[in-house]
Amino acid sequence: MEGLTPAEQRELDQRLQKRQVKEFMTVFGNLVDNCFNACVDDFTSKVLSGRETGCISRCVIKSMTTQARLGERFAELNAAMTAEMQQKMSR
Amino acid sequence: MFGFGRPQPTSAEKIAAIENELKVVAEMHSRMIKVCSAKCLDKTYREGELSKGEAVCLDRCAAKFFEAHQIISDQLQKEGAARGFGGGM
Repeated sequence: MEGLTPAEQRELDQRLQKRQVKEFMTVFGNLVDNCFNACVDDFTSKVLSGRETGCISRCVIKSMTTQARLGERFAELNAAMTAEMQQKMSR
Repeated sequence: MFGFGRPQPTSAEKIAAIENELKVVAEMHSRMIKVCSAKCLDKTYREGELSKGEAVCLDRCAAKFFEAHQIISDQLQKEGAARGFGGGM
């Protein structure tokens, strides 16, 4: 693909920024759903118990660590896959 | 009519193409996280830190995910071609 003009690059950057915001909201939403489902199941009270808040906290930390780690793996694997595809195409 | 002098993609098309490619990659990233978290993490969240076992599981899951993706992609293309559908992944 040919290079982009500065104006086109700006437009692209704007769109990507918008996308990132949207994606963050999705990640946030998924996190809430996931950690709530995993940690909260005691409805004898309308207040979260200590156990539940602790669980939620650990869930968040673990989820973020997991995302970071998988992010690294993904980048490595994606780079390898792309390199392999380019090799195949240039044969 | 022969195809030399193809019309250049417009600005909008170029940008859309890049954005789309990134979208595909981002979606794969997101799915991998979902799937590998489900398969590897302790769902009781007794600990906030990733155990060694979970970490190794995640690494291997990511690698297998990519491999499976590739196999399925290739096979779909072959089957699709055999059955008369076009298009790659």
